Amino acid sequence: MKKLEQVLEDWEAVIGLEIHAELTTLETKMFCSCKLEFGAEPNTHTCPVCLGLPGALPVPNKAAIESIVLAGLATNCDIEKRSMFYRKNYMYPDMAKNFQTTQGPVAFCMRGHLDLDVDGAAAKERIDLGDLKPGEQGAEGTTAANVTRTEDGYVAHVGIERIHMEEDAGKMIHIGGGEGRIAGATHSLVDYNRAGTPLIELVTKPDLRTPEEARLFMQKLRQIYLAIGISDCSMEEGSLRCDGNVSLRRRGSTELGTKTELKNMNSFKNLHDGLAYEICRQAEVLEEGGIIYQETRHWDPSAKRTIVMRVKETADDYRLFPEPDLAPYDLSDEFIEGVRAKLPELPDEKAKRFESEFGLSAYDARHLVEHRSTSNFFEACMAEAANDSNKLAKPLANLIINDVAAYANANGVSDMAQTALSPARAVELVKLLAEDTISSKQAKEVFAIVLEDDKDPSVIIEERGMKQVSDTGAIEAVVDGVLAAFPDKVEQYKAGKTGLLGFFVGQCMKQMKGQGNPKVINQLLAQKLS
Amino acid sequence: MTQHLTEKDVRGIATYARIGLTDEEVTEMTVDLNNIIESLKPITEYNLEGVEPTFHPIGNLSNVMREDVEGESFTQEVALENAPKQQDGSFLIPAILGGGDE
Amino acid sequence: MAQAFAELSVAQIQAGLTAKEFSAKEVAESSLARIASADKAVHAFLETTEEAALAAAARVDAAIAAGDIAQAGPLAGVPVAFKDNMNLEGTHTTCSSLMLENYVSPYTATCVSKIIEAGGIPLGKLNMDEFAFGSSTETSAFGRTFNPWDLERVPGGSSGGSSAAVAAGLATLTLGSDTGGSIRQPGSFCGTVAVKPTYGVVSRYGVVAFGSSLDQVGPFARNVQDAALAMNALAGHDPLDCTSQPVTTDFTANLAEGVSGMRIGVVPAFMEAEGLAPEVRAKVEEAVEHLRQMGAEIVEVELPNAQAAMSAYYVLGPCEAFSNLARFDSVRYGYCEPGCKDLGHQYEASRSAGFGPEARRRIMLGSYLLSAGVYEKYYYPAQQVRTLITQDYVKAYEKVDCIIAPVAPRTAFKFGEIADPTSMYLSDMFTISINIAGNGGMSMPVGLGADSGMPVGVQLISPAFKDENMLRAAAALEMVYGAAPVAPAFADGKDGE
Repeated sequence: MKKLEQVLEDWEAVIGLEIHAELTTLETKMFCSCKLEFGAEPNTHTCPVCLGLPGALPVPNKAAIESIVLAGLATNCDIEKRSMFYRKNYMYPDMAKNFQTTQGPVAFCMRGHLDLDVDGAAAKERIDLGDLKPGEQGAEGTTAANVTRTEDGYVAHVGIERIHMEEDAGKMIHIGGGEGRIAGATHSLVDYNRAGTPLIELVTKPDLRTPEEARLFMQKLRQIYLAIGISDCSMEEGSLRCDGNVSLRRRGSTELGTKTELKNMNSFKNLHDGLAYEICRQAEVLEEGGIIYQETRHWDPSAKRTIVMRVKETADDYRLFPEPDLAPYDLSDEFIEGVRAKLPELPDEKAKRFESEFGLSAYDARHLVEHRSTSNFFEACMAEAANDSNKLAKPLANLIINDVAAYANANGVSDMAQTALSPARAVELVKLLAEDTISSKQAKEVFAIVLEDDKDPSVIIEERGMKQVSDTGAIEAVVDGVLAAFPDKVEQYKAGKTGLLGFFVGQCMKQMKGQGNPKVINQLLAQKLS
Repeated sequence: MTQHLTEKDVRGIATYARIGLTDEEVTEMTVDLNNIIESLKPITEYNLEGVEPTFHPIGNLSNVMREDVEGESFTQEVALENAPKQQDGSFLIPAILGGGDE
Repeated sequence: MAQAFAELSVAQIQAGLTAKEFSAKEVAESSLARIASADKAVHAFLETTEEAALAAAARVDAAIAAGDIAQAGPLAGVPVAFKDNMNLEGTHTTCSSLMLENYVSPYTATCVSKIIEAGGIPLGKLNMDEFAFGSSTETSAFGRTFNPWDLERVPGGSSGGSSAAVAAGLATLTLGSDTGGSIRQPGSFCGTVAVKPTYGVVSRYGVVAFGSSLDQVGPFARNVQDAALAMNALAGHDPLDCTSQPVTTDFTANLAEGVSGMRIGVVPAFMEAEGLAPEVRAKVEEAVEHLRQMGAEIVEVELPNAQAAMSAYYVLGPCEAFSNLARFDSVRYGYCEPGCKDLGHQYEASRSAGFGPEARRRIMLGSYLLSAGVYEKYYYPAQQVRTLITQDYVKAYEKVDCIIAPVAPRTAFKFGEIADPTSMYLSDMFTISINIAGNGGMSMPVGLGADSGMPVGVQLISPAFKDENMLRAAAALEMVYGAAPVAPAFADGKDGE
């Protein structure tokens, strides 16, 4: 099979996502007052409504409606005041009523969009940017029409079709087949604790063109949902789930190809890799003259391929009709404005504020707001730095984006407040670096020791004698000694082999046990060698 | 009378509605359903242009919701009280995908 | 012979209890004993609920002992019973279907708990057409119910057991449910006061759904005052039913007012309808004449779209039923065919064996009518027709306070007399449009038909949420015709001989 980059040379991938998020931060289910809780004993959070007992009736959870309106406002959707719930009828054992209560043609949230910043390596999957200059938008009618070039990549404008409210199904365990799979299972066990969990489904327009864009969309949406606090967005536990629709068309063509639906992409990596594989698979089929069937495929991350789950011969007929047991909605301005008042600062707004308030680059600001924990930590540091905040913003951002994030990642830390690195210590560390008291190499060491030993950076430096030597006199003596020890190398340098400068710096640092100020060493070496 | 449904249609509807019918029952059901559907004709002959549908016969009732407050749930024992088959606190069902024996 | 307390009215029972002529415990025990003997002939009850009855009686007796019967509620000590599609925790709720033969309710319907909280003594659960699909109670999987006025005839349906129990004096009050006429038609057939309130007056929570936008719960009684007292206990918003409304009307308040000055509508098209039996028409005309003589202004009104109600109903009802009955899948409860290797077979075999022919027909019909391409042809237009019918009523009620009409085209028919489903559907020709519009309607007994000698009811129809209007007119007719009698073969504690 060809590689993705090759495939995308000839083919344009058209990708749409359907993203389900459980509203896990609520107390109770969508249509009954059973507690929402992951991991309880089976069937202990059930009642007549969520078990679908004869005679039970649903009553919607107001907080769930507020949550979906909040999600709509945060994703630039129009809030539809008038909408209804519908019954989607099909029999499946995890669905107690054998219909899912969902929304019809009009959802609470319609016609939204998100702008994705795609940069660095991620931007390389997009090959239709041509000669666009930073700030320029792709021409109307071209495949790049929804794209604006930036310095280090591009911004993609991705439309959101709708976000609708529905309910989750129960959970099943399949027994007797391999690895808990439904195929080959002799029987299954059904637990309805999850049945009726409030679920919002966001459907994008088919505006995504690369697996990276899909991944970034999902990441950005997750940031937003976390920021507005409507879900814990755990892809592992399934509270955030994503299905993808993919089709290919020859570059230049405007007709849509037959799409396949991709399931089981339960991590950002799986989302990217699943889509990338499927694009390559479709290209291979098409290039060999084959046909793509409209089918649902399952991404198997261990085998690194997608396998067919079922072929859709005809469109599903869910016998959708308006739910007579639920009153229709006619949301008031008051209700919508009440929700809007609860809208917190969103990641995009926060990044803009970081740029203007602290003079950060767009890149730094964007990466700081990727996680609420890092942006919160950064803000706490800025408060700690007080008058120095402008001066320290850039080095603090570097520390957080690189070292702190790497540490948090490696150690599974979700909140830096729970570690020994307090904002005060972070500020002290960065200050020491800014004042040339320690080198950046030393700063990394101190960072690690703070977390290990739970001590202030200044104490660590003192105890370990790690202070950087910037005294010109002391350094000059070392420099002179090094140059005297390697006369042949000095000759070579003077003959034009200027690359040897690094060698001299290294020798000086070695003699000073790493504590020499590299800037001063460089300066003096340059002077003496010229 | 118009034949609205054939026996094949009726079999398809039965499969979707998950009701097993014998051949005899299919024949009988086809006659009954065709009679009933024929009697629904007036609905198809009405001039309904511009008439809004009434999905909810409840006047101006809208936005009926409850607060997000936990209430009582069943114990596992009560939840499973009427279960035809159960195992490990869950409802037990046979293989969802057919055994491939047909 | 057990004393037939259930032949008494609410007022008579409460007077006896207050005077300590008898206790609620005696009422409960005697009523249960009476059912054990007399219901052999009627078969209105599918189950008696001794434990619940005695517990309720004990609460009433405790209140009386404490010197305050009012504490026990406005229906204190009244023998009541419920259609078997209403959940009462710890008892069976079968809907007269094999599907739910062994189903034990883990919770209680709001209407049931309201009646018990008002002091009612729950005697048991009543026979019905399977899942309320029918007009004769013949589709019950557990045997038919016999009309107490003539045991060779049907009691009507689907709430046949509810009406027969009251007519035979086996309960003072019962509850039924009405989707297209299922309270009013058996009310007419057995000669009981049978009320279908406006949609939304009574909570549907815990009542097994047939047509969710059409179903409404209401009482059967032998006099209007008792029915109104039951309405008082039942009405009001239930936080568990989104479609229930805050109703605080005292339905007994205007019963003594008479109809003087009331404007009562007559629909000529109904009176001239093909298939309306002359004896029924004569009775309705007679009742109209009585109302006129009592001072009501009789006004002709038109319901031009009512003739489409039947077809709209046989679209909407089956569609909603198809979806409501999907939950009977052999997984969480209900009949489960043993030995099925896979779920698909278990589904099909269980639903095939668990549902009777009429239930299967309606499910199949609904599934077809909702399918892609067909939905637009029937379901959507039916909901548009609903708008037209509702508008017809609204317009009519600009001219009148209440409408009088036949309930059913004829009196109770003999078992097996109507076998063809589409002919059976015609039983509801005068009642269906009221469910489609959501108004209140009731059957008021006006004596016996001249030809059949069977009870005839007239239908009184109220504007939405003005159910007190029809009760007022009914109370006026009661002054002429008297309270509904217990069927002669069962009166005074007789067992149907």
